[in-house]
Amino acid sequence: MMSQLQRLHFLISHMQQEMDENEPVPESFDERFQMFRGLANRRPAKPLSREFLDVQDAFLGTYNSEGVTAVSDLTPVRDRLYLWQGDITTLKAGAIVNAANPDMLGCFIPNHDCIDNIIHTKAGAALRLECAELMERQGRKEAVGRAKITSAYNLPADHVIHTVGPYVQDGRVSRMKEDLLRRCYMSCLALADEKDVGSIAFCSISTGVFGFPKERAAEIAVDAVTDYLKDSGSRLEVIFNVFDDEDLKIYESHLA
Amino acid sequence: MRKVANYLWIEKNGEEYKLIMTPELQDDIGTVGFVEFTKEKSLKKDDSILELEGSKTVLDLTTPIAGEVVAVNEKAADTPELLNSADPDESWVVKLTGVDEAEFNALENA
Repeated sequence: MMSQLQRLHFLISHMQQEMDENEPVPESFDERFQMFRGLANRRPAKPLSREFLDVQDAFLGTYNSEGVTAVSDLTPVRDRLYLWQGDITTLKAGAIVNAANPDMLGCFIPNHDCIDNIIHTKAGAALRLECAELMERQGRKEAVGRAKITSAYNLPADHVIHTVGPYVQDGRVSRMKEDLLRRCYMSCLALADEKDVGSIAFCSISTGVFGFPKERAAEIAVDAVTDYLKDSGSRLEVIFNVFDDEDLKIYESHLA
Repeated sequence: MRKVANYLWIEKNGEEYKLIMTPELQDDIGTVGFVEFTKEKSLKKDDSILELEGSKTVLDLTTPIAGEVVAVNEKAADTPELLNSADPDESWVVKLTGVDEAEFNALENA
């Protein structure tokens, strides 16, 4: 059986060959993982060999099995509502929400520090292929405020729900952008119920590189989810996932 | 008589209701580069009327009122920038009939 280091070497070599590149493969695990991630991020949505997928899935399956949190381990802050600080790619939920862009193929910037990048990296290359198929069928870019569901592949979650949030320049939030952000939450929740996923974990949509002010975004998120659960009578469990302490404080104040 | 909802103006001319891009909407989407109009003839409230790709965002515009589609702005299908025009004769989206007048009257005045 291959070790994790050997698997990374295989995956890197395979992708370098595809892209006609020949950089030396570093020795350490961390550097090797960075190189693997960068190549996987740049790799277009092309078919994959069974062999590549087997090695990739063995690698990611092992890599992702560490530090997993299950929704059942969490304590609700309100009935069926949870606030959880951590890495969303380690959460075992029915669905996790990905803040995607209108191309909806995942982030192509090597090792970019965004949620779209890490979700696609840790789910594996098949996620981009499924997204490409959905987008080809649609025939045009994904509009802001809607939602699409895919498998989560090697992630501990069962599904990924992809939504494109509104993009805010210079902190100027129009009424329309507020409405669109609310629509993102509503679309994801409705799709989660339609597919009966049981639990859904939201990242703070639009607040990363899309520049939506965090305070207002959290308020919209909490209001949308609260309204949805009340109006629909849904039994969904909803997790607000935050990454840093600032976001945690903001959500704590809105959920209090 | 003009109302505003879903970032669109709704202009009533007799039995016909014209949905027009508002300046706020135009500002939020930037230069319109691609459009695809609905092919539905009969619309419910919040049904999609236009998928558009602007320089600032990709958007699915929805109708604030139910009605029957009598016309879509075909010229804008070939020349999407028309939707950036300040002239409602160029920047209209769809024309509806069979609209419930009470539903129209309940919308916010523009």
